[in-house]
Amino acid sequence: MIFGRRTIAPDGPDRFVLHLGTEERAVLRAVCQDLLSVLDDDEASPSLKRLFPKAHAADPEIDAAYQEMVHDDLLQSRREVLAAVADTAEQDELDRETLDQWMVGLNSVRLVLGTVLDVSEDEFPELSEDDPMLPAWAVYDFLGGIVDAAVRALAETLPDVD
Amino acid sequence: MDDPLLIRSGLLSPVATAPMEVELEEPDTDEVTAEDRPWIVLVWNDPINLMSYVTLVLQKLFGYSLEKAEALMLDVHHKGRAVVSNGTKEKAELDVFRLHEHGLWATMQQD
Repeated sequence: MIFGRRTIAPDGPDRFVLHLGTEERAVLRAVCQDLLSVLDDDEASPSLKRLFPKAHAADPEIDAAYQEMVHDDLLQSRREVLAAVADTAEQDELDRETLDQWMVGLNSVRLVLGTVLDVSEDEFPELSEDDPMLPAWAVYDFLGGIVDAAVRALAETLPDVD
Repeated sequence: MDDPLLIRSGLLSPVATAPMEVELEEPDTDEVTAEDRPWIVLVWNDPINLMSYVTLVLQKLFGYSLEKAEALMLDVHHKGRAVVSNGTKEKAELDVFRLHEHGLWATMQQD
């Protein structure tokens, strides 16, 4: 990331220029591929619970019926956005639809990491340099920056409403 | 602002997700009166999603103005939850699905 330049810079409503380094792109691609493989291998993993939330909090029976109805569609949707990020991680610019997929896909990775790290509303915990969770926290923080950059770029180029 | 493509495609209908079971679906007549009551969709506070992200998702999915989306997001943040949409069971299910797609913690219940 180059100081003073936006990570994701809008150039009109449908063109977004990415200022990301090779290593950053490699991380983005890797985390999406990792989550894709977990979705394939261990869809029921507790760390994925935020990706398949309850719709009917008070009624397990109705919720089970809802989950049966939507689960495959939700899984397919998650796979599509993650694959889109992995496939376009090397690109210098994205159209609006693809940037939206980046935002949603990287946010889903962040949800999983946040679940594993048991993130709370508090600030980052104090970690020692040899804490085994340090890399995961670093990726979580990095993804937060990218998601926020995507949100800003998309928000300021939204068509007016009302 | 429902996505007509999603509705037309029958994304959320049992037919689309389990076509082989269509004939097994029978209306639950006991539920008819209850089914008529409107449903509300709630978004719950969570420590992971960014506030800016929640605001943009509400603008994108429901066509809300920035002011309305921000007010709802702040309600979620400070009060723990907010009602973001309401309507028929089918509409609520579609809204919950799209919110879940975007990683928001959404539930639905009858008003």
